[in-house]
Amino acid sequence: MAEWLPYSLIAVALWGAVGLLQKLGASRVSAHSLFVWLTIGFALQVPFLAPGSRLASMAASEVGFGLLVGLTNALGSWFLFAALERGAQASIAIPLTALYPLVTALLAVLLLGERLSGRQWVGLVLAVIAGLLLSYEAPQQPDRSAAGSASETAG
Amino acid sequence: MRVEGRLPRWLAYCLACLFLWGVWGVLAKVASGRMSPKDEQILFTAGSLPVAAAALWRLKGALETHRIGALCGVLNGVFAGLGLIAYYVAMERGPASVVAPVTALFPLLTVLLAATFLRERVNRFQAAGIAAALVSIFLLAS
Repeated sequence: MAEWLPYSLIAVALWGAVGLLQKLGASRVSAHSLFVWLTIGFALQVPFLAPGSRLASMAASEVGFGLLVGLTNALGSWFLFAALERGAQASIAIPLTALYPLVTALLAVLLLGERLSGRQWVGLVLAVIAGLLLSYEAPQQPDRSAAGSASETAG
Repeated sequence: MRVEGRLPRWLAYCLACLFLWGVWGVLAKVASGRMSPKDEQILFTAGSLPVAAAALWRLKGALETHRIGALCGVLNGVFAGLGLIAYYVAMERGPASVVAPVTALFPLLTVLLAATFLRERVNRFQAAGIAAALVSIFLLAS
């Protein structure tokens, strides 16, 4: 088994649970409040992550990279909330943003020189189609529930 | 970002999200090779703070404190954070062009959990999505 696969599946399992909690939370508080609470959840883990940290001795450029990982993810969620506030239908917006792994894969091939086999290209296209299908929920009442299921990918 | 003309604002925002999340995967790949997953998650949290501050500003400081809503949010942070650590390890050990699509399949589990615990119906699009997701994981891991 590929070395990256078990860790990816752990992420799928944990983020899948996040999606469920998102559904539960989004019917009770707004997307923005949910995002603030989510960030508090991140912050609560920091004391457990800090022991053995080498942050103090890391180069500024590396620290910057790490910060950008958080910032791009959070800003992406912010724009999705904004789209839904501006009247985007969740049944269109969510599947559209579910195309993001395609962007990552193309950038990784172009910028990092990654190579995919023919089978993996087919797998990539199929995964993106699967993402579109899985995130499709019949159009329903907009507003809160929409903005909520939107922030699923905030993780 | 400034988009004018015929492109509706909401669509521009969706595309901005799509682009940012796409870039996020590449940045995570690069960062994961240069630091420990724990340090990366600390920095990820710090990098999220400006956006959380903006969200708080949008709420005019009135963070909603509905008990279940808040608890779901905090638990989301805990689960998402643990998932991110696994994601960084996966990124460190595999190509971003494969790890990103596989990890993005998490709605597969959400659909199954929602069917189990919330008794939501799995529609036929989602059923097809589950099948496609399983085949895609097999192909990407080969």
